[in-house]
Amino acid sequence: MRILLDNFTKKFGTLTVIDQMDLEIHSGEMIALLGGSGCGKSTTLFSICGIHKINGGRILFGDKDVTNITSQERNVGVVFQSFALYPHMTVEQNIGFPLKLRKESASEVKRKVDEIAEMVHIEALIHRRPGELSGGQQQRVALARALVRRPDVLLLDEPLANLDATLRLEMRSEIRRIQQETGITAVLVTHDQVEAMSMCDRIAIMDAGKIVQISEPREMYNNPVSDFVAGFLGSPPIAFLQGRITDGIFVEPSTGTKMPVNADIAKRANGGEVRVGIRPEFFQPGAGAAIKGRVSFIESQGRETLYNVTLPDGNILRSIQGSQSSARIGDEVEWGVDSSQMLVFGRDGMRL
Amino acid sequence: MGNSNAEIAASGRVSAPDLRGGAPQLTRLQKIGNSRHLGLYLMAPAFLFVVLFFVAPVLLTGVFGFTNMSTATGISGGAYLANQSSMRALRDKHDFGELADQINRVVFTIDEAGLEAAAQAGASAATLKELNAKFFGQSFGKRRDVERAIKTLDNRPSSTRAIKAISKHFERSVFNIRFDSADDLLAALNKFGISLDPQQQAAVIDVTYTGWVFTTDNFKRMISLPDTRTTLYNTLFYVFTTLILFNVGFALVLAISTHYMDAAPAGFFRSVWLLPRITPPVLYVLMWKWLAWDTGFISAVLGPFGIAPKNWMLDSPTNAWTFIILINGMVGASMGMLIFASAIKAIPTSLFYASEVDGATRAQQIRHIILPQLRFPILFITSYQTLSLLTSFEFILLATEGGPGGSTEVWALSTYFKALNNYAGSLEYGYGAALALVLVVVGVAMSILYLKLFDFKTLTAPPKIE
Repeated sequence: MRILLDNFTKKFGTLTVIDQMDLEIHSGEMIALLGGSGCGKSTTLFSICGIHKINGGRILFGDKDVTNITSQERNVGVVFQSFALYPHMTVEQNIGFPLKLRKESASEVKRKVDEIAEMVHIEALIHRRPGELSGGQQQRVALARALVRRPDVLLLDEPLANLDATLRLEMRSEIRRIQQETGITAVLVTHDQVEAMSMCDRIAIMDAGKIVQISEPREMYNNPVSDFVAGFLGSPPIAFLQGRITDGIFVEPSTGTKMPVNADIAKRANGGEVRVGIRPEFFQPGAGAAIKGRVSFIESQGRETLYNVTLPDGNILRSIQGSQSSARIGDEVEWGVDSSQMLVFGRDGMRL
Repeated sequence: MGNSNAEIAASGRVSAPDLRGGAPQLTRLQKIGNSRHLGLYLMAPAFLFVVLFFVAPVLLTGVFGFTNMSTATGISGGAYLANQSSMRALRDKHDFGELADQINRVVFTIDEAGLEAAAQAGASAATLKELNAKFFGQSFGKRRDVERAIKTLDNRPSSTRAIKAISKHFERSVFNIRFDSADDLLAALNKFGISLDPQQQAAVIDVTYTGWVFTTDNFKRMISLPDTRTTLYNTLFYVFTTLILFNVGFALVLAISTHYMDAAPAGFFRSVWLLPRITPPVLYVLMWKWLAWDTGFISAVLGPFGIAPKNWMLDSPTNAWTFIILINGMVGASMGMLIFASAIKAIPTSLFYASEVDGATRAQQIRHIILPQLRFPILFITSYQTLSLLTSFEFILLATEGGPGGSTEVWALSTYFKALNNYAGSLEYGYGAALALVLVVVGVAMSILYLKLFDFKTLTAPPKIE
């Protein structure tokens, strides 16, 4: 079901957390609300499910205005960061709780619980209590409870934050699989760009209560609208250099390295102060505009190795390379920047 | 520098004998400093107080419960005394009526002591000398007989009054004389020519002993008295009505309703409900009395409506109970409220959110989320307050003194009246202790029952969920 936030405003006391946000979530898509803590992503989620009353604008589920409908009547499924399973109920009772509250018959509840339990692979656990389950199992129960009454929208609030690294990988694909199997509209709130990029159809990246950009993950990575978005996506993160564009060429001030930029940008930013972003994969030995620096940090990630290269003025460029590279800390290196892949931002941080 | 060092060393050597007394203390101090022993030292005062003010009283209650101690017997040993009541007991309890009459009888014996006493009182020496010579050692059953004997003397006094004055010094009886030991009493009786077989001896010793003895009569008496049953029903009614209506029931209402309020009004209401608890109990009950008595608030308010003023608290047992339960409940509810409110606060907010989006109304949230999480606090308050209500009687004592007509006299109050304070001033320590012992046994039994009922072990097990 399509979800529409129209001119949505949320205040806590005098503090405006979300100011006139518009967001359309297409039916059946999974969208990520991505941002740092305090950006308003969880507030948005709690407003969609009705736990927070909103201070302005409308929320529509399909064509139905649910702005003034209580959370009890909104038909949303929520998976909380802490899973919020009822500790005194068995898994079966936890999953069946929303149905029981709707006064569905015991046999109907049983049938639906069994069906959903099978879908999230916890059939064997339904007589246990949450305390007797691992984190991943609890996560699956929470998912099952959110999905069992076929909600209009599935809301996931940092669902993977409480899991360890391997479980997180596993549950990432599991949640995506279940979302695609059920075809449900889903909103994922996360601060982890990897989760957002790997699980979702689109990402809405938020900053200070505003949506900065909504795009498909790849598109957002390649074409960030601002340096904030560029800096948020990508691991290891993008590196920025300050400088000036003269005659279609960006000159790195401390080494004097010349990096040509494309004609369109050159025309718009000629003579102006700019900030260029260089992703680690585009700073490699032997290609593009060679820039000199000293290796200041090496982090081996197994298949790949991350190098920090400090320029004479203290700016750092990052490079990610195959692990055969032989550079050591303190080595003077001269690697090339692929300036055609450089992202150029104006003084206001917006992309040029 | 070298000199001063030498001096210090020398003075140290000189004063060494003086320090010797201090040296072992230092090592003892070091021992205290050892943390393994420190705990014991720190525990010692508490242990002493627990023994003095808890263990000892409970044990003594257990012992006293099996005695007939009272103001009449005293708490130390007694004497042997033949008096009206002990002779009645000899007659009624042991069926030795004849013996009792015998002991009761007054005897006149011409003996050394009597002669001396008469001489002291101013009787003529000649009379007494002749009396001594003619009748020494003789006993007379009646005053008239001894007086007749005196009249036969050559040196008899001239007036009848003087004869009577002499005769009174020879009056001998064991009646109303305290004997320190049973042997003294028996010897005295023997002297009067009353010889007893062993069975009679035992009976006489039994009835004349004025001190306390070990006995199980307290419990027999408790079972046979109809008052006991009334007190028992009063106690059960008092404890469970107060507990269910206020200490748990109303406390839950307060805790849950303030949970759904904003922080400021919630805090205000909780503070208001705490006020009765921090009011001095005597003043608190006094205010209830002012409210209720015939020139008090209720009477004053109802007066204009033509309702005659009266003491609303002591007017009828129903009213008395209503007030007693209100007085206790208003104080008792605040403790439950605090415990329940903090337990509700400990429930993660996400559980409330989750149940809300799962479609739970307030009522369903209370039923399915809050109450199951309050199981342990409710157990705690129920057992704690049952025990405290069972043993506390101060508000009843202050408000109604068990009245009207004993209708609000609960077990603890009745115990207090029996053993420590009553109108007649005859305090039955032994019976009171027996009543108290019942309270101890019931209290322990109820604690065990509650723990079993609420499955204490599972509740106190380490939490399985964060």
